[in-house]
Amino acid sequence: MLFREIVIAGCGNPLFGDDGFGPAVVEELQKLQLPDNVKVIDAGLGAPHFLFTLMEDAEVPVKKLIIIDITDFGGNPGDVTKLRPEDLPPGSYRDAHSWDLSEPLQRLKDVIDITIIGCQPKRVASHEFELGLTEEVERAIPKTVRIVLEEIGVEYGAAINHQGTHLWAAPGETAGEPGGKTGEQT
Amino acid sequence: MSKVVEISPTTRHEGHSKLVLKVNDEGIVERGDWLSITPVRGVEKLAIGKTMDQVPKIASRVCGICPIAHTLAATEAMEASIGCEIPEDAKLLRYILQCANRMHSHAIHNILALPDLYIPGTDVKVNPFTKEEPVRSVALRIQRIREIGQTIGEIVGGEAIHPSNPRVGGMYKNISPRAKAKIYDLAKEARVLTQQQMEFMIAVFRNYQRRDWAEVGGVEVPIPKDLGYHNQGYMATAPVYGSSSLDETPMWFPERFTEVRPWDWYMGEVEISEADPNYPIGGTTPVGKKAWPQMEACTGVPLYDGQPVEVGPRARMAMFKNYDEKGTIGLQIARQMEFPETAYGIIDAVDALDTSGSVLADEIPQGDGSLGWAANEAPRGADVHLARVKDGRVQYFSMLVPTTWNFPTCSRALEGAPWRLAEVVMRGYDPCVSCATHMLVIDEDKRLVAQKLIQ
Repeated sequence: MLFREIVIAGCGNPLFGDDGFGPAVVEELQKLQLPDNVKVIDAGLGAPHFLFTLMEDAEVPVKKLIIIDITDFGGNPGDVTKLRPEDLPPGSYRDAHSWDLSEPLQRLKDVIDITIIGCQPKRVASHEFELGLTEEVERAIPKTVRIVLEEIGVEYGAAINHQGTHLWAAPGETAGEPGGKTGEQT
Repeated sequence: MSKVVEISPTTRHEGHSKLVLKVNDEGIVERGDWLSITPVRGVEKLAIGKTMDQVPKIASRVCGICPIAHTLAATEAMEASIGCEIPEDAKLLRYILQCANRMHSHAIHNILALPDLYIPGTDVKVNPFTKEEPVRSVALRIQRIREIGQTIGEIVGGEAIHPSNPRVGGMYKNISPRAKAKIYDLAKEARVLTQQQMEFMIAVFRNYQRRDWAEVGGVEVPIPKDLGYHNQGYMATAPVYGSSSLDETPMWFPERFTEVRPWDWYMGEVEISEADPNYPIGGTTPVGKKAWPQMEACTGVPLYDGQPVEVGPRARMAMFKNYDEKGTIGLQIARQMEFPETAYGIIDAVDALDTSGSVLADEIPQGDGSLGWAANEAPRGADVHLARVKDGRVQYFSMLVPTTWNFPTCSRALEGAPWRLAEVVMRGYDPCVSCATHMLVIDEDKRLVAQKLIQ
């Protein structure tokens, strides 16, 4: 099924440095055991035309949409902010393809509860492709995962380490670098 | 005395492009240049030194429109270079993926094309978003077809947008018998819907073809009977899937391909001397501004046998099914005729699929640097990827994406059309200009002030 009641879409392009934040958060979320009514999608570059335009008439009605993307709000790199579609006047969330369906969020916001979680990027490569997130933005991943879990009402009660340790791992079991990135990262 | 009109950016398609048109006193295009203004991607450079498994994933991310085509073409270019044959069941899964992608893409293109058209028997243009019948049912049908295509793509590809299941040597995993049953049900539903959609769209296009005029920005523009005609050739490698250098009889020939610089192809610096502020959306470029297509075009110009060629639905139909209708309407109708085939293709492939069969080659060679290529028949035309792999690492990688082929061909097809219909001609080609990514920009109070496109 393409959609469920709650859809979490990570948007962005891993080829442009920190723009890969959305897909990176999705990768972490996909390791978790989430409720059956939650669908996590790596939307990559296709969210506006492959997903958002389909939600209004979806077979399974979508009640809540959480979008994860980078946002330039003048914060420090890695800072995370929450936005509502009302914060985006028509034309602001423009699909890069300049077509009429470029404002699906404005259409959807009356029928679907939409939250946008934005992370302040440090570096978005513009002319050359660049793989990998900056350290600051990478550190925002566990924080974002926690915000998402809070949004969907899932309480794990555990610190989230995006370095590969599953939430249900035994205490002390980590996959991060020794003495390094374990536990809370905010 | 020629005048110059510029439509920039062009709208209702996918990507950033513009039209620079030299027109005569009657407003008829004497020379048209359609060009990409999306900066060069340069993925070829990034690919060098990466493993042959990484590069198809990278290729998928250069575009949000054809990620499936790019994944399949890149994966198969690697397989062609290392000489790796994949199991039959893996081929079937890829075939299903291809059909699902085409089903979804053609449906989305209908939404883009419909606002140019009229409800038959009236002078009312189609608004695909209206809640009023009969258009509402058509819109819902299109959305359901898209949802089916996306769902099947997700089941087989592993991800809804950038498929994770294809890999060099086959697929990561086969699908379950339950997934097979689900695909079968969805495809059976799509079979009926795509047939209805094809018939509806052809009726609407034929109605447009019979009209004498179309309204654009408040002006009644005569529709020529040869709208969008050109005399270039066609290039297609298969009716549905594609071809690669591993085939016994390959259908694409690297030695017939050359590329020239935009400098040698597009027109030089010109001054805009004709404008229409009422042209949708936001008017054309004001008089007095300059345009310089040969400097602004961001893609090379690929030639096949020294000429621009058309790729896409009509090229496939012309080469494999004796289709012979020319012009923009001919191209649009060819696209609709491919619709039911996507559903039947999925049904046939899923029928033949053994869900307990292996989908990974027994042995995956690491490559000796030989050139391999794969041409995937993406919805918009042949997506040709070339690669050299040695010891598992990519030494050379190149992508010749569909619209790159269609830019110069469509430019020729513009000649003879009223300039106000130039976008109608261009939309027939369903452009997939290479992608950009987006970013939101908001102020200190966290209010959005500007939008920045990172390209």
